[in-house]
Amino acid sequence: MRNPLQKRLLRELRDEAGKYAVIFILLVATIGFVSGFLVADSSMRITYDESFEKYNIEDGYFDVKKEMTQEQKAVLEKNEITIYENYFMEEELTNGSTLRIYADREDVDRGCLMEGHLPEQAGEIAIDRMYAENNKIAVGDTIGSADREWTVSGYVALSDYSSLFSDNNDSMFDAVKFGVAIVPKEDFDTFSKKTLHYRYAWTYGTEPVNETAENDRAEDLMKAMGKAVSLESFVPRYQNQAIIFTGNDMGSDKGMMTALLYMIIVILAFVFGITISNTITKEANTIGTLRASGYTRGELVRHYISMPLLVTLIGAVLGNILGYTVLEKVVCQMYYGSYSLTKYVTAWSGEAFWKTTVVPIIMMMIINLLILNHKMKVSPLKFIRRDLSRRKQKRAVRLGVMVPFFTRFRLRIIFQNMSNYAMLLVGIIFANLLLFFGLALPEVLDHYQDDIQQNMLSSYQYMLSVPVSVMSEESKIKSLISMLEFSKAVETDNESAEKFTAYSLNTTDDICDGEEILLYGIQKDSQYVPLDVSEGQVYISKGYADKHLLKAGHTITLKEKYKDDSYDFVVTGIYDYMGTLSLFINQDQLNEMFDLDQDYFSGYFSDTEITDINDKYIGSVVDLEALTKISRQLDVSMGSMMYLVDGFAILIFMVLIYLLSKIVIEKNGQSISMVKILGYGNGEISRLYIFSTSFMVVLFLLLSMVIDYYFMLVIFRQIMLESFSGWIEFHITAGIFIKMFILGIVTYAVVAVLEVRKIRKVPMDEALKNVE
Amino acid sequence: MFLEINNIKKSFGEAENRIEVLKGIDLSIDKGEFCVLLGPSGSGKSTLLNIIGGIDSSDEGYISIDGEKTGEMKEKKLTLYRRKHLGYIFQMYNLIPNLTIRENIEVGAYLSDKPLDIDDMLQTLGIYEHQHKLPNQLSGGQQQRTAIGRALIKNPDILLCDEPTGALDYNTSKGILKLIETVNQKYGNTVVMVTHNDAIKYMADQVVHLKDGTIRKSYHNENKIPAEELDW
Repeated sequence: MRNPLQKRLLRELRDEAGKYAVIFILLVATIGFVSGFLVADSSMRITYDESFEKYNIEDGYFDVKKEMTQEQKAVLEKNEITIYENYFMEEELTNGSTLRIYADREDVDRGCLMEGHLPEQAGEIAIDRMYAENNKIAVGDTIGSADREWTVSGYVALSDYSSLFSDNNDSMFDAVKFGVAIVPKEDFDTFSKKTLHYRYAWTYGTEPVNETAENDRAEDLMKAMGKAVSLESFVPRYQNQAIIFTGNDMGSDKGMMTALLYMIIVILAFVFGITISNTITKEANTIGTLRASGYTRGELVRHYISMPLLVTLIGAVLGNILGYTVLEKVVCQMYYGSYSLTKYVTAWSGEAFWKTTVVPIIMMMIINLLILNHKMKVSPLKFIRRDLSRRKQKRAVRLGVMVPFFTRFRLRIIFQNMSNYAMLLVGIIFANLLLFFGLALPEVLDHYQDDIQQNMLSSYQYMLSVPVSVMSEESKIKSLISMLEFSKAVETDNESAEKFTAYSLNTTDDICDGEEILLYGIQKDSQYVPLDVSEGQVYISKGYADKHLLKAGHTITLKEKYKDDSYDFVVTGIYDYMGTLSLFINQDQLNEMFDLDQDYFSGYFSDTEITDINDKYIGSVVDLEALTKISRQLDVSMGSMMYLVDGFAILIFMVLIYLLSKIVIEKNGQSISMVKILGYGNGEISRLYIFSTSFMVVLFLLLSMVIDYYFMLVIFRQIMLESFSGWIEFHITAGIFIKMFILGIVTYAVVAVLEVRKIRKVPMDEALKNVE
Repeated sequence: MFLEINNIKKSFGEAENRIEVLKGIDLSIDKGEFCVLLGPSGSGKSTLLNIIGGIDSSDEGYISIDGEKTGEMKEKKLTLYRRKHLGYIFQMYNLIPNLTIRENIEVGAYLSDKPLDIDDMLQTLGIYEHQHKLPNQLSGGQQQRTAIGRALIKNPDILLCDEPTGALDYNTSKGILKLIETVNQKYGNTVVMVTHNDAIKYMADQVVHLKDGTIRKSYHNENKIPAEELDW
């Protein structure tokens, strides 16, 4: 026969509809969101991984000065590769952005039509979807530069630009100021040859078996190419950020999302545990009688655990349905907000099912089993006598008679509900952490942008682009000629220009291994970097010091990216510069260290624009726009998500406060009823019972801000370490704390109103029905 | 008349399940009088006490205390009425478990502008040395003394006692009854006590027998005896 006690479950659900509804909503929302995230992440990952074959993504590209001849191509293809023309031109559009335009490619790096139609005739253009959305360009709109105009026929996602990096050396892409597009081949052929960039893509005949083999293959290929053509750049796919950045970043938030789900499940499991403990206390006589009549402890444990498991199971099922339908699309939109991905198909994710259904149920079961087993260990007789304490009788904390009576009363309520309040503290810390993140991020990014603007090394920083031909090891004469040509072409008459040498090395420390550090070799009396860089003096940027936890006196070891050569530096001081992770030393010292010519330099600092150097020798211009790419991209990709985070935090906050303060009132139902009988008014009772919780909420809000601040420092640091090259300081103002406090109080006020109503509804006969 | 109970009727349930618990009760009790309501289970005595105490309402009739009718009072006024006039003692004490003995009595003291002295009350009740303990550290009799202290500390006009000795042994019950008697004599409160214990009628000024929601017998005790001499 089925345990007749189970018949209570539905009634319990009906009687406590409000309580279970809020738990259920929180469960469904969390499981739904995390399930949606995991499903979207896995679907996107599959889409991304499959795109390499589906759209025949290149294995690398190289740039040359002039169009290659068929003979040159044939020579190169002897290296078991297929070469494809991948020419492009760049147009400065009237909206201030740069559009890189390709011909519609059919053989390599094919595009995926996202909306509208592909350009079919002259004057039509299909532009990258994310760039279009960031710049609010609709299908059918007209875009143009000073010379040309196009009608946008559709949105596309180009498989070799899932992240819109305009320059492979950039630390972050900028999908607002840079976009890619395709035009019909016939139209592309009409572009002036002068404006074309001769880029060629290649694919291997047989794919390298692993990363090392791919690396070796690329190095061999570069040497072989160097013999045949004058290379301007050579970027194998594994180094091409526009292709690999998305794949590397995908799934980086999965751990955080799963942790968020488990944290909420643990909190809810404890809320259930506290609720069940209270029910057991209330039903102690009945439980004692049932146990005395022969019901086993296991039968009763199974009965009391049914409700949390049932609610979690239904929550997980519904959450997953929502996850696979609505929320998955929401999360995919977030992905589409960050990356220019091709069209995806929702894929079943076993991982999502395991993490959002099986694990939460197991967690709920384990936590509640532990609580229930502990609670149920009392003997039947003790249950009947309502003596559930397994410890020796508790002594009351002495409170002086001088303390006002109401204060003592409130303190007693706090002492009585310590476990509830402990749970509330954990919940508030957790909810506030989310809220903190949501509120702080925009401010952190704003501060970063302001700081960069105010502390730029110079208004313009030109990084010269040394042609690959200069590096040719095989043809020393060719290399020398190229070098001479280059040296002559990069001199400027601009009076504010100051030469510097830049050299990249990688970190070797445990904090963030393999991160690129830009070494600046600066002149002794530099007007842009006013540091004493006499021989042996080494300064590092504040961004570098903060990220890698370095101080003056520390020794740092940096190494070449693809070689084993390493270099030690003893830090003399920290230079207040957050723009890049950099190291500043004397220019002569740097040139000597890396066997560069004594007069060698690789760029200019300048306060005015340099106009007399050919663009082809300028690799990149580091200006405010370039330096703030990280913060702008973070703002674009995560800005909308922050509202979601804020809303979710408030929901958790509200639900937890509601549930736990409800438990406090339920636990004291009989006492409330009694003091009502004695003649206490609802206002007085509310002041007694609500004030205690209010006091704790305010205390916890303040406490959580301090705790969350330190948590946030750790989390933000971790995000910066794992997800970004570069460093953004976690800088916030007191305003964030005020906002958090106000939001917390307003949210609590809503709950408090509900609790006051609940106190009003406690019937006076409650005291007559139950015995203590 | 200080406490006037006029044609009180009360039913529970709906339609065919409707049970008339009180079928028109009329009763008058003088100030300072000790009235005992006797009767078997289901006779309506606790319901009558709850209606007098303003924690339940009648379907018909009214209760008047010192000329004030409770049925006409709104919730706020009813609360004030309980606050000003009534003290309650239950069979199961109903102490607030997380307050000490002293603090439980202070719960009552808070309601009065001129409460009695708490230390005196603790001494009178014989629980002075237990004042800093929690209720679950005390015996049933000591807990009931605390409940009496909580009801008396505000020196109410009427003390309503619902089976105050129902859960206590003989000796403890006698102690409690003596205490109520002392209080009644010392402070002059009107006492209305519901009990199953027939012996208690001998210490009362007025005895009311209830059965099936009606008063079967009501009389004034000409030869009441002190609680000390009661036996059952």
